Amino acid sequence: MTDPQVGVLMLGLFIAIILLGFPIAFTLIALAVGFGYYAQGNIVFSLLVQRTYGVMSNDILISVPLFLFMGYIVERSNVLERLFHSLQVAMKGVPASLAVATLATCAMFATATGIVGAVVTLMGLLAFPVMLKVGYDVKLSAGVITAGGCLGILIPPSIMLILYGATAGVSVVKLYAGAIFPGFMLAGLYMLYVVGRTLINPRLAPKLPTEQTDIPYVQIFKMLLTSFVPLAILITSVLGAILFGLATPSEAAALGALGAILISIGYKRFNISMLKESVFLTARTSAMVCWLFVGSWSFSSVFSILGGHEVVEHWFTVMQLSPIQFLILAQIIIFLLGWPLEWSEIIIIFVPIFLPLVKFYGIDPLFFGILVALNIQTSFLTPPMAMAAYYLKGIAPPHIKLTEIFAGCLPFVFMVIIAMALLYIFPGIALWLPSVLY
Amino acid sequence: MQRFLFFIDHTSVWVGKTFGWCILALTLATSYDVFMRYAFRAPTDWGYDASYMLYGSLFMMAGAYALSRNGHVRGDVLYRFMPIRWQAGVDLTLYFIFFFPAVIALMYSGFEYAKMAWVIKEHSALSPDGPPLYHFKSLIPLAGFFLFLQGIAEVVRCVRALKTGEWPQRLSDVEELEKQILKDAQQGMTGDEILAAVATGKHKEDKQ
Repeated sequence: MTDPQVGVLMLGLFIAIILLGFPIAFTLIALAVGFGYYAQGNIVFSLLVQRTYGVMSNDILISVPLFLFMGYIVERSNVLERLFHSLQVAMKGVPASLAVATLATCAMFATATGIVGAVVTLMGLLAFPVMLKVGYDVKLSAGVITAGGCLGILIPPSIMLILYGATAGVSVVKLYAGAIFPGFMLAGLYMLYVVGRTLINPRLAPKLPTEQTDIPYVQIFKMLLTSFVPLAILITSVLGAILFGLATPSEAAALGALGAILISIGYKRFNISMLKESVFLTARTSAMVCWLFVGSWSFSSVFSILGGHEVVEHWFTVMQLSPIQFLILAQIIIFLLGWPLEWSEIIIIFVPIFLPLVKFYGIDPLFFGILVALNIQTSFLTPPMAMAAYYLKGIAPPHIKLTEIFAGCLPFVFMVIIAMALLYIFPGIALWLPSVLY
Repeated sequence: MQRFLFFIDHTSVWVGKTFGWCILALTLATSYDVFMRYAFRAPTDWGYDASYMLYGSLFMMAGAYALSRNGHVRGDVLYRFMPIRWQAGVDLTLYFIFFFPAVIALMYSGFEYAKMAWVIKEHSALSPDGPPLYHFKSLIPLAGFFLFLQGIAEVVRCVRALKTGEWPQRLSDVEELEKQILKDAQQGMTGDEILAAVATGKHKEDKQ
């Protein structure tokens, strides 16, 4: 066997073993060591330790545990309930006001925490019963909660873009600038869809009884001031500091974590046990993400030493794709990978395999990253592996069927695809802001 | 045997949690550095080195802790539908084919790497008067060692699951909020009860 063939064998073996369900980080390290030893002998050991140290001293990944920590603190600071109630009354004039307020709450909370599961389960307990009680359509209600909860991994400051930046060598600052408008565009499309459907068929989202919404403006303003405003300040100052170059992403993340602690003190929720919970969860999740990097960087070094990348490139050149066809094919593959895999694995392990091709076809890795970020939204929403749907099912009343929740997710998956098409036709949506700022 | 398992678990958890506090130190140190830069135009000269060392120590030393909580991601499309004995059999085999070789390679290469840093008394070249790097680099073989230890405990778990058809219990520990909420819901708590538990941070386990 020639070396490139061995490289392909290595990739094939890896995919087979992923399906067996062994912890991926160690599978990657072991395959890197085994195949590296075959290719280069003892040198593989210094390669492994250098890649490990490379992850340990990587100044982009420092912001990962910091953003996680910020997220865990915000998640535990009881801001969500206040946020939902105040947005709900503030939006009372809007058609389908509860659904729109749910979307807005999910999007904002998920942006601050960056965690999908928590917001879906919490909003499933908070907003779902309220919507059902007023007579909202089950599918529509389920859809806004699941789709809204996933927006946090797209809208900056999101951890996913840091992982992509570290993997692809694209500046995180530019990625953040590039993702802002696509993120808002997707949230806007979701809202348009909800409002549009309600205008066509008002029975989907009946108006609230007036006694529930009849609250004086001064009080609504006060409610917003204690829920929406602190969180909005936290998010915009973290993002603003990064975009205007006042602080690096990791510095801004540290300030964000500190701000989150201050907010939780403000809500009288800060105590030692919630701090401990957040610290320990941060340690575990950071270990999970960063050990995956140790594995992936070792693996892809050995893969490229063996010449595996050239083989993959050769396959694509044989197909004689145009850049557009390549882009669509790549997105379809990533879409399909979203079924068996989680987004962190897709970004850390499979994006490096696509990247040389992205450059080969002359596509801007920044643009590709934003498309991937949009695409990965679907991996939470597309049956049969839609995690967001399972989270909602877990806490929904027993009479709600999983199929109803799936059916509720689907229109939002179409919105994501529309957003990707719009982004492809008008790349300026992503590329304009980075080009103005830098 | 259970005591031996829990001893290893406790060690991994203790190491992971202790190094977990690096995140608080990282938050405060970085914030202080930024504050000094803007308020007094006097950024610290240790800020940069401290930041990656705290971050690196955090995730390296929490590796075994995450393993003890089954926290390293698996592609579990098929795995989750397998009977427990199959899961244990697959895990047991792959621990020996993949996990131990990987971790031993990491210990071996990390040891040589750290030894070199100690021999030349390596200091960080990233900042003037950089702090020593050899302690930091020594964490690589050390993290490998704790992973190795936890790997033994996991292998014992697999063997027992093969025998009994059930996964042995793990230590109870803080869970992700969504997992906690789903667990509460399965135990028959109503939505309002769960929300109240989340709001106060007092879930059922805590009361016991």
